Amino acid sequence: MARRDLLPKPEEPFSDAFCSLLPSLLATRQRIDAGVAERLRARQAVLSQSGTFVGHRRYERGDDLRHLDWSAYARTGELFTKQLEEDDRRAVTVALDLSASMLVGSPQRRVGALRLAAVIGGLALARLDGVTVVTPGATCPVARFVGVAQLPALLEHLRSLPVVDVEPAAVTALVLSFDTVGRLHWVSDFAPPQDFERPLRALRRRGAKVTGWLPTVSDDDAPPSGGYLRVVDPETDREVSVPVDRALHDELRRQLALLERQQRQMFSEVGAPLLRWAFAARPVDAPELADHLPIVAACAR
Amino acid sequence: MSLQDPEYLWALVLLPLLWWLSRPPAPRRRLLTAHFPQWQSAMRAQRRRAPRGSFLRFVLLAIAMVGAVFAAAGVQTAPTPGPDRLVVLLDASRSMAAQRDGVSAFARARAALLARLAAVPAHVEVVLLRCGGDLRRRYGESARQLTDLGEPGGALAVDLAELAESLRDARTQVWVYTDGQGQVRLPKYGALDVYDARGDNVSIVDVRLEDGWPLPELQIAVDLVVHAAADADVAVVVRGAIEGEQERRVVTWRDSQVITVNLGLRRAAIGGDVELRAVLADDVLCGDDVRVLRLPPLPAPRIAVLADSDAGPFAPVAAEALADEVKGHVVPATAGGEVGLLIVDGGVAELEPGSARAITFGARLAGQLDPEPWLAPAGIDWDREHVLTRGLDLSELQVDRAWRGVLPDGQPILWSEEGGLRAPLAVLSQGDGVASIHFAFRLQDSNLPLLAAFPQLLRRGFVRSYDAAASLTIEGAAPPAGELDLRYAQLATSRPGSAFGQPTRSLARWFVAAGLLALGFRAFMR
Repeated sequence: MARRDLLPKPEEPFSDAFCSLLPSLLATRQRIDAGVAERLRARQAVLSQSGTFVGHRRYERGDDLRHLDWSAYARTGELFTKQLEEDDRRAVTVALDLSASMLVGSPQRRVGALRLAAVIGGLALARLDGVTVVTPGATCPVARFVGVAQLPALLEHLRSLPVVDVEPAAVTALVLSFDTVGRLHWVSDFAPPQDFERPLRALRRRGAKVTGWLPTVSDDDAPPSGGYLRVVDPETDREVSVPVDRALHDELRRQLALLERQQRQMFSEVGAPLLRWAFAARPVDAPELADHLPIVAACAR
Repeated sequence: MSLQDPEYLWALVLLPLLWWLSRPPAPRRRLLTAHFPQWQSAMRAQRRRAPRGSFLRFVLLAIAMVGAVFAAAGVQTAPTPGPDRLVVLLDASRSMAAQRDGVSAFARARAALLARLAAVPAHVEVVLLRCGGDLRRRYGESARQLTDLGEPGGALAVDLAELAESLRDARTQVWVYTDGQGQVRLPKYGALDVYDARGDNVSIVDVRLEDGWPLPELQIAVDLVVHAAADADVAVVVRGAIEGEQERRVVTWRDSQVITVNLGLRRAAIGGDVELRAVLADDVLCGDDVRVLRLPPLPAPRIAVLADSDAGPFAPVAAEALADEVKGHVVPATAGGEVGLLIVDGGVAELEPGSARAITFGARLAGQLDPEPWLAPAGIDWDREHVLTRGLDLSELQVDRAWRGVLPDGQPILWSEEGGLRAPLAVLSQGDGVASIHFAFRLQDSNLPLLAAFPQLLRRGFVRSYDAAASLTIEGAAPPAGELDLRYAQLATSRPGSAFGQPTRSLARWFVAAGLLALGFRAFMR
């Protein structure tokens, strides 16, 4: 178990700039992908008219025209679908890695992971029937949000998630216990990759569509080039003191490149994409819309 | 094990500091990584190892430090209680010279003592007291080597048992080496070695002489004491510079009583040694049996006279009388002639005082100014203790005229005392083996030639002018009374002394060596 007193405190993931950026990001017109089975089931659900109105979401192709809120269309000129409580079939699931290893980097990889979850979840709230956030080890390991009105609640839920070390298999167990999974967006550092191989295969066998998200930090491809360092594994608390020179730096880069290949190969074997998001390409306090559009684009595929 | 300066142990509190200093340097930068296995793989590929402290290297360093601290604190072994001082009482009285099988008791004691002292630990302070004869003390190495102990002789003037008892304490061990002779009791404590030297003994306790010098007659009275069984054959043998070379006189045995043997001898004219030996069969102590007389050669008494023209007949007559007494003859005084005695009466004598055998009466010596007449000196007196005038009666001496300033420096033997002041009338001038006697008046100006003491004074003057050349010496001292009868002695079984204590022994060098060894090992340890 990692020594929590030595770990850095989780950084604030959602700065004001990001919060102000998020609505414009959700307002993009790209279609958000959901699982095939869920789409069909959603079409069948059109026949059922029961349910409690819980909010609006943007109209997506295939939605039941009878649920269009024409009044809202008259006010805004945009097509909105009235969302009933039972109609959260067009959902996505976001699985978050809350382990201590997500605290590495500056800014922390956890910041990128939470922002990814916020963007994906926000898109799901705005354009699909809802989003399920799966965080094994948290106080509320499964949190379901429906309707764009719950975006603040989603952000607050993500902000309040603790740092907890769980095995990747716990994510699989939780996700597979749902009746509907939708597309699973798994946000993690996927290290070491061998710990994720069996969970990914299990998800594939159950037909889940998985997208791997890996928010990258500078440590992933640009290790230190010199100095006398104490390298600490935040999950196991193992550490080693090592003087870094050029030869070790080069070798370390080779090892990281090998790791990247292993991760990519692991996802290729299960037919899932692994997307690396360089969220720290610019200062996290000044996010740009363009930096997040790849997320939207990836969700639309 | 104890410590001399335990306050140095405070330095051991620096051990944690040493531990901290021996650790490898800590990295100042901490890097959290999600790729710890990749770091490990890279280090393995580059054959890198993390700098780490070696517990064994620290232990070796700690051993070196502990060794140094304990060495500084003066670590030492605990002392073993016991004496650390040894007093040896060695009986060196004359009886220790008694021999058995050709070896004296003293030699046997000396050999045994030397062997035993070789085993005495080096830290023991050794004091050796030679008891008997002249007391000698030896300390330390001199005592261990028995340096210059001399030969046994003299009386044992101390009670060895009482002395050993008085010296005994917790720190002192006493060893006694004695023959038990002359002791009432033997020491009860400490080591004791008793050498049996009992046996018969005859001793010459005294020798009395009547020397006829310059005549050859010599009367010797030898006092013997015989401590032997009845009917022991005892004899006195004289040999050496006497006519006939040897004379033997058998003595009638009387146990433990003084036996006087009178011997009338004629000495050889050339002088030499005469040995007096008391002979007893089975005598264990031969050292007190012998006396040696050293006889000077007899003089050739050629007497010459130098007399002033108006000196009168006294000087030649006196010379004739003296020559007749000492069996000599009067020879003419010639320049360069060799004489035994020169008698000068008045006039001038060309001689140095104390450099020639001479008797001068009112003669002016070489280099002296004209003397001042001294008429009828009064209050004439003489030295009654001087060898020249002892026992002589000079009270009738009258001097009509004497001379002031004719006497050289010397010992006054005759003087005139007026008004509390002494003015010498005769002096003895002593030279190197030669003496001259000078009177301040001529014979004819006094009644000295007429006095009965004059021949004796003249003869004494003749003998005294020869000074030491006329002296007879006797070698060998009278044995102490307690060292004569050797038939009885206190005997006891010899016993060894107790073990000596062991002092504290410093272990500092061993701790330093251990520390250096640990540092040496550490130099090869990685």
